[in-house]
Formats: sequence, C-alpha cells, structure tokens
Amino acid sequence: MTEEQDKRTERAAIEALSSEARLSYKVEVTDKDGRVVQDEEGPSHSYVRQWNEILHLQAAAIYIGGGGTVKMTDGSTEGNAYYSVRSFASNAGIGVDRSGLRIGKDSTPVSINDYALGAPIAQGTGLDQLEHQLTYFTAPSVVGSTLSFTMQRSFVNHSGATISGIREIGNYVEFTGSMLGRVALGFRDVLGSSFSIPDGGAITVTYTLKVTA
Amino acid sequence: MKIPGLRYSVVVRDRDGKVLSCENQRSRSMLGNWYRILYAHMASTSTSLVRTDGIDRGVINFGDNWKFVAAADEDYMGIVIGTGIAAVTIDDYKLDSQIMHGTGSGQMRHLASTPGWPSVAGSSCDFLTSRTFLNNSGGLITVRESGIYCRVKGTTYYGYACIVRDVLATPQDVPDGGSVTIDYTLRITA
Repeated sequence: MTEEQDKRTERAAIEALSSEARLSYKVEVTDKDGRVVQDEEGPSHSYVRQWNEILHLQAAAIYIGGGGTVKMTDGSTEGNAYYSVRSFASNAGIGVDRSGLRIGKDSTPVSINDYALGAPIAQGTGLDQLEHQLTYFTAPSVVGSTLSFTMQRSFVNHSGATISGIREIGNYVEFTGSMLGRVALGFRDVLGSSFSIPDGGAITVTYTLKVTA
Repeated sequence: MKIPGLRYSVVVRDRDGKVLSCENQRSRSMLGNWYRILYAHMASTSTSLVRTDGIDRGVINFGDNWKFVAAADEDYMGIVIGTGIAAVTIDDYKLDSQIMHGTGSGQMRHLASTPGWPSVAGSSCDFLTSRTFLNNSGGLITVRESGIYCRVKGTTYYGYACIVRDVLATPQDVPDGGSVTIDYTLRITA
C-alpha cells in the first residue's frame, strides 16, 4: 500500500467516526500563472502537548505565578504561563513568521513532544525563503450536525529559484507568559510527499477544524 | 487513531464508598460552542455563541474563556450532570435537564472541579478534569447526561457556555448517601 493509499484509508476511518473532533489539512502549490501543479489532502497528525497545556491554562484559570509551563518554539521553556486573551492566537500578519501557519523541510515523524517544525522556512526573498502572507480564518459554520472553520496561509516564492523539499506544515500559536506574545507549536504534520515551489509560485496551506455531534 | 479524543467515565458509589457501577465511553461530544471559542481565540476576533441562558451574546477572545475550574456548590460552571435524554446536537447550549446543587428533592451537592495538569505518557498527552456529586436528597436520583459549562465573555457580558454534552450510555442510579464521579479526559496522540 502506498503512502497516499494509507492516507485515504485513514481518512475514511476518521470520517466513519460519528462523533469526534477532527483536524485535516490541504496543501496546494501553484505556479506563477496560478495553475495548480501539486496538491495533497489528509488527516492531521496531530496536535502536540502544548495544545493541551495552553488549554489547561484557560480551563484551570492558571494565573500569574501559578506555575504554568509551556515549551516555546525556540526550545526554551516558559515557566510562568498563564491564561490570557492571546491563548491560541494564530492570526499572523503579512511577513510574520514567528506565529501562524508555517512550513518546513523536515520529515521527522510527529512526536507528542514536538515544540517546533524541524526545519522551518524563514520569511524573505533570499535563498530558500518564502514571503509569508496573512494567516486568516473563515468563520465557524454549521452544516447538518457538523461545525467547522478553516485557517489558511499562502507562502510566495520570490527567491529566484525553485524551493524544493517541503515536507512539514504546522501552526505556531501564541500564549502569554512572563511577557506577551510567547509562541508554541500547536500542531504539526509531515506531508506524504515532497513539495516543490517554482520561482514566482506559491504554496497554500489550509487546515480545517471540525467537530460533529 | 491519531486524532484528539474526548472520553468520559462515570463511577457511582454507595454511602460506604463501594462502587456500584461504572461506565467509560468516548464522548458525544465536544459541541459547536467549544469550537466557536477556539475560533475567537485563534483568529483574535468574536463570533456568535448561545449561552446557557439561551441568549446569543457572542464570544470574544478574552482571558477568562474556557475557564471551567469550579468551586464547591457552583452548578453553573465545571462538569455538570442532568436527567435529560435528548440526543446531543451540535448547537446544544445547555443540558437537557440539569441537576442543580442542593440537598432538596432531585438535587445533588456539587463538589469542587479542578482540571489536572496535562500529563504525557508514550505518544499521548492527557488532560483530565473530574467532579464528584453527592446525593443527600433523601431519595434515589438517576443521572442520564453530563457535560461541561465554561466561562465566556462577549463584547459586553460575562456568561457561561455549554461546550461538552453527553447522554450516558447507561442511566446511572445514585442512591441516597451515594455519589457519582464524572471524569473527562481530552487525549491527543501523535
């Protein structure tokens, strides 16, 4: 069975669950004329521990000095994390590569202890850099017994050459600790195939968050 | 299956602490309100949300959102239980028929509910919250539903939202002097 068949089988199994929270992704590469040259869809693999840790800050109303501990994307640990208006914020602006959806080149399988992408692509127009567009959201909508919303970000290649070897995607979410704007990995996925973005082209990542009653 | 899963367990004890029955099931389910709050936080915005009072006052990203740690006696926040059997729908905004705090007929004493710190074991991270309810009503009470109410803030008002609701697979009879403990565990597995 190929990796793509594996993903289809897993997707079908997930769809068969009648009542579950689901996270799935779609990745699409377009050339400079807007033609789709490569794409992939699949179930997410997966939320990582920081997701539950930030949720705990909120649910337990962990206040300043309450011992909230969350590992940040730079590998250091924030030991004074607390509940805040910024928990889970992912609406990164144009050119911002510290939060929001990110892509990278590492293909190491996802671990519950992942705290960052393995080899994230930086913002810019230099070698192996991509211009990060806005991470934006569609509002929640209910269809039948399912509620869903999406988040999406495009990355444009103006580096002058094809950027190849894109293997991972994920979301960097904000939280609050000893200072505002701390950032942690919320979820990460390793793609089934390697993506290449031609010069002048773009890659767009869409995550769908869905729950069915 | 590498997806987030919410499970609940129910344990009923008599007045001597002897376990009379228990149930462990996958939750049905996180409700739309859970994701409406999540959306408000992720997108740093506001959206509509019907509170437990049945009024749509919306939700805006705010520090108190999702708070479901509850003190003893509080029946408007934290894990809650009821006697209703209406099927769960995505837009449920309260329990079908909530058991209120107290010692009167059909009431149960609500103990404190404190979410535990997330714990990692193997490739999973579990987030557990638990609450015990005591039946000092003088009669038997049958628990048929459970859920979680959390604090939310709209553009002007604080309030409470139902973010989880389950109809128990087996109605649980709690004798006078006995108790029922509900655990919810949110597990993510990489």
